[in-house]
Amino acid sequence: MAVCSAYTTQSLHSTCSISTPAKTHLGFHQKQVVFYRRSSKRGGSGSSSGPCVITCSAGDSQTVVIGLAADSGCGKSTFMRRLTSVFGGAAEPPKGGNPDSNTLISDMTTVICLDDYHSLDRTGRKEKGVTALDPRANDFDLMYEQVKAIKSGVAVDKPIYNHVTGLLDPPELIKPPKILVIEGLHPMFDERVRDLLDFSIYLDISNEVKFAWKIQRDMAERGHSLESIRASIEARKPDFDAYIDPQKKYADAVIEVLPTQLIPDDNEGKVLRVRLIMKEGVKHFSPVYLFDEGSTISWIPCGRKLTCSYPGIKFHYGPDTYFGNEVSILEMDGQFDRLDELIYVESHLSNISTRFYGEVTQQMLKHADFPGSNNGTGLFQTIVGLKIRDLYEQITSSKTAAPLEATKA
Amino acid sequence: MATLCKPKSCSQRTRLKKGGPVKVATLNQPWKRVSQSKRRMQVMKPVRAAPDSISEKVEKSVKEVQEACSDDPVSGECVAAWDEVKELSAAASHARDKKKDNDPLENYCKDNPKTDECRTYDNGSIIYIMTSFFVFGDENLELS
Repeated sequence: MAVCSAYTTQSLHSTCSISTPAKTHLGFHQKQVVFYRRSSKRGGSGSSSGPCVITCSAGDSQTVVIGLAADSGCGKSTFMRRLTSVFGGAAEPPKGGNPDSNTLISDMTTVICLDDYHSLDRTGRKEKGVTALDPRANDFDLMYEQVKAIKSGVAVDKPIYNHVTGLLDPPELIKPPKILVIEGLHPMFDERVRDLLDFSIYLDISNEVKFAWKIQRDMAERGHSLESIRASIEARKPDFDAYIDPQKKYADAVIEVLPTQLIPDDNEGKVLRVRLIMKEGVKHFSPVYLFDEGSTISWIPCGRKLTCSYPGIKFHYGPDTYFGNEVSILEMDGQFDRLDELIYVESHLSNISTRFYGEVTQQMLKHADFPGSNNGTGLFQTIVGLKIRDLYEQITSSKTAAPLEATKA
Repeated sequence: MATLCKPKSCSQRTRLKKGGPVKVATLNQPWKRVSQSKRRMQVMKPVRAAPDSISEKVEKSVKEVQEACSDDPVSGECVAAWDEVKELSAAASHARDKKKDNDPLENYCKDNPKTDECRTYDNGSIIYIMTSFFVFGDENLELS
C-alpha cells in the first residue's frame, strides 16, 4: 500500500516539468513527482494552486519503532538477540556488506546501532575532549530524519561507525523492516526521535553490577587492572549522569539490575536483583502482574511444592511512582537452578502475552547459554520481548482496521 | 550541517589514509561522479580487523590515558581517553566472542543447507529410508 501526500509550493518558474530525483543529500531514496503548471497571470495575488509536489512511499509503511537505551552491546547485546528470537529467525549482520557493521537483520526486525550517528569519530572526539555520551558527538538531526523515513517506508543510506577503527565507514542501505529497533545511548534524548518511538526501554545497570561484569569481561585483556576498570567507569560517570540517565523518566519500561539482597556483602554480581518498572497507561502495553493487579505482593515460590537451592528466589510486585509517573514494579531476586522453577514461576505470572503455556520457559531454554538466562535479566528481557510482539500485533491490526473504517464512513 | 561528517567525504578520506587504490579517474577527471568510482571500490571488501590488533589497541589506549590524565584528571581529554579505553575493551570482547562462535562447518551449512554435508533428516524420513531399503532392496538405493 503506497502512501502519497500532496503539497503545494510557491514557485517563480512557470514551466512544465516532471523530475524524479533519486537521492537527496541526506541519503534517502524517494520517488517524488513534481508537477508544474503554467501560470498565465503574472504578479497575481498569489492565490490558487502553485506547483504540486507529490511524495510517494511504497511498502507497508507500518514500521513499528522500538527504542532501547543501553550502555553496552549495540546490536550485539543479549537483549537484542532475545528480542529478535521471540519473533523467530536469527538476526545477522547484513550479508555481503561491511563486516564491522553494527546492524542486525532478521525476517521481521532490523536493529540499528545509534553509534552510527556519531558526528565525530574517535580522533575527532579526542581532539575536542568529548566522550561518545556527549550530545555534541552525535548528529540528532540525521538520526531523526532517517528514523522518520524508515518509519514511513523509505529506505535510507545509514552511515556506519566502525568500533574497531573508530572511523565513520561508507553508508549501508537500510530497508524498512516490520519492526525497527534503535539501540544505543541516546534513543530518547532528542524529543523528535522520542515522539517517533512506539515503545521505549531503558536498561539501567547499577554501578556495582557494572563493575563486577566489567571485571569478569576485561581482566583477561592485557593492559587492564582493577584500578583502570574502576577509573574508566568513574571517569564516564559525570557525562553519563548528565546525558544518559535522564532518559529513564521517558522510558515505558525500565529494567533495573541491582546487587542481590539475599546474600549479604555479595560483590561477585552473579546473583542479581532485577526490577521491571512498567509505566501505566501506555497504549497497547498492559503491565505484567502477580496474582492481583494493583495490589502489593511479596512472594517466595520455594517451599513445599518447589524446592530451591541457595540463595533461592524472591518476588515482589506492587504499584509505585517513578519520576512522577504511575508505574507497576515486578521484582525478582535470586536465580533459577532448574527448569521446573522457571515453569512454576511462569505459571503464576499474569499478562505476559504468551501464545501458549510455557513460552517464556521455552525462549529462556532456547538461549540457555546467554548471560542472565538463570536470573531476572533473562526472564524480564524475554517478557519484554513478548510484550513488544503483542504491541506490534495490536498496532498492525489497528492500522489495517482504520482504513476499512474510513472506507465505510 | 557544518558538524555533520558526510559519509561520502569521510570514506574518501579513510580510503586515502589506508593507501588503498588511488582513484586516478576522479583525480584527472573531477567531473566523473563519486558514485561511479564507488562501484569500482566495492570490489575491494574491507577486511575484518584481527583480534590481536584490538588487544594492542586496548593496551595502547590505557597507556595514553596515563599521559592525558597526568595533567588534569577531570579535563575533557582525560575523560575522552577513558571513553576510548571503554570502547576498545568492548570491541575486544565482541571480537573474542565472534572468534569463539566460528565453526567453519556451521558457517558453511548456514549458507548451503542442501549440500550433502549439511543435509539433516528428521526421524520419520530416516525410518522410511531404512525400511524401504530392507523391504525393496536395491531398487530404492537412489532415494536420497
